[in-house]
Amino acid sequence: MKKLIMLALMIFGVQSYTASAHHAFAQEFSVDLPVDLNGIVTRVELINPHSWIHIAVTNAEGVEEGWMIEGGSPNSLFRQGITKDSIPIGAELDVFGYQARDRTLKAVGRDISFADGTPLFFRETRVPE
Amino acid sequence: MNRIHTFGSAFLTGACLLSGNVLAQSESWEMPRTSWGDPVIQGYWTNSSLVPLQRPTALGTKEFYSLEEYRENLRRAFEGETDETQAGTAADVHYQFDDYLMNRTADSIAPNLRTSIISNPSNGRLPEATGEALEKLEAYSVWREEHQWDSANTRGLSERCLIWGQEGPPILPLGYNSTYQFMQTEDYVILQLEMIHDVRIIPLDGGNPAKNSLPQWLGNSRGHWEGDTLVVETTRFSGRTDANGMRGVSLDSNNHVIERFTRVSEDTIDYEFTINDPTVWKQSWSGVYPFKAIDGPMFEYACHEGNYGIENILSGKRREELDRMEAAGQ
Repeated sequence: MKKLIMLALMIFGVQSYTASAHHAFAQEFSVDLPVDLNGIVTRVELINPHSWIHIAVTNAEGVEEGWMIEGGSPNSLFRQGITKDSIPIGAELDVFGYQARDRTLKAVGRDISFADGTPLFFRETRVPE
Repeated sequence: MNRIHTFGSAFLTGACLLSGNVLAQSESWEMPRTSWGDPVIQGYWTNSSLVPLQRPTALGTKEFYSLEEYRENLRRAFEGETDETQAGTAADVHYQFDDYLMNRTADSIAPNLRTSIISNPSNGRLPEATGEALEKLEAYSVWREEHQWDSANTRGLSERCLIWGQEGPPILPLGYNSTYQFMQTEDYVILQLEMIHDVRIIPLDGGNPAKNSLPQWLGNSRGHWEGDTLVVETTRFSGRTDANGMRGVSLDSNNHVIERFTRVSEDTIDYEFTINDPTVWKQSWSGVYPFKAIDGPMFEYACHEGNYGIENILSGKRREELDRMEAAGQ
């Protein structure tokens, strides 16, 4: 994951409000429960405070499970013209993340990409002049 | 006023060199005015910034970076956004900000050569807290250790989608969605904040905000124009929000905030604030930074709509408690 939360600490060396998330994800998801999922998009919720992408995953026993993958606030996406239609229903996603502490089928999506490796909402990082 | 002139001069010098067109604007620019003669401040603005509230102690009383230092800081900051956290660590349990275009390379940044937002005290740091405030801070820390997981009502205000700490007043930058829409009439100024969807409706009657008002989460504000500067005074806070960086130290009618909005160019409003709260701080403190004009629109941040997180956090905690009880044979 990118180190944005620690950005001001790294650059300016002090506490800052910076990109603190809406809540501490490590309280919701467990670092001891990493998951590596491949699934088909069934529903996209680009809502605040955090987006949720629903995918159908076939587990090792061949049983289909419905997983919810938590992501970021969608407002910046909207500013770039991206909508929930940018993730088509039926698209195949690869997700690496961490499962919910209550062990339900929810995870934070640390890395999400389309199955061909394309990042979900890719835009090149640029340093302003 | 001297302080903001100092800031403005240094900032504009840097901004001129950065953009190459601000100097031309400052020479030919004329203050846009409403039909009734007030400076126009309405529009869409951002205060997105890399400048911290408090100055790194190693910088002492150095108030501004040089342009070269500013550029180097920007370069390092944006390169830093591509660094990776280590899998299997608590810091790694998060979505990637740039997957959602939430890093500040995606949005506009308000250029600022300052080393801290705080301009007074001269060390750029928050002043010393009162003994009363420190006692409250300690008491809250003890309470939190015991009760923070009890229910949704014992969780933080932003986690509950009630309010975010940067809403103020004073308004402070956030890491993302630092977007604002200002609107104005002859009698009111309206400040709408994207995070977390609150609106401050400020009468321009120059009245006393301490009178004839119920306590409010964002306080009660009254404004007036001093020349081309909009001055907003706020007090009567509800006691439900906290002093900056002081969880459990609530703001009430002893907190008094003065904000000053001055449009200094086509795309910049200088924002200055002073806080006086003798219950919390041993002395008043001030800050200053620019708002930068951006294109609209601003998007709704309907926080309750998808706040599954708070339920998940509490259900995770209940699960851990059950696991511990089972392990203990209970």
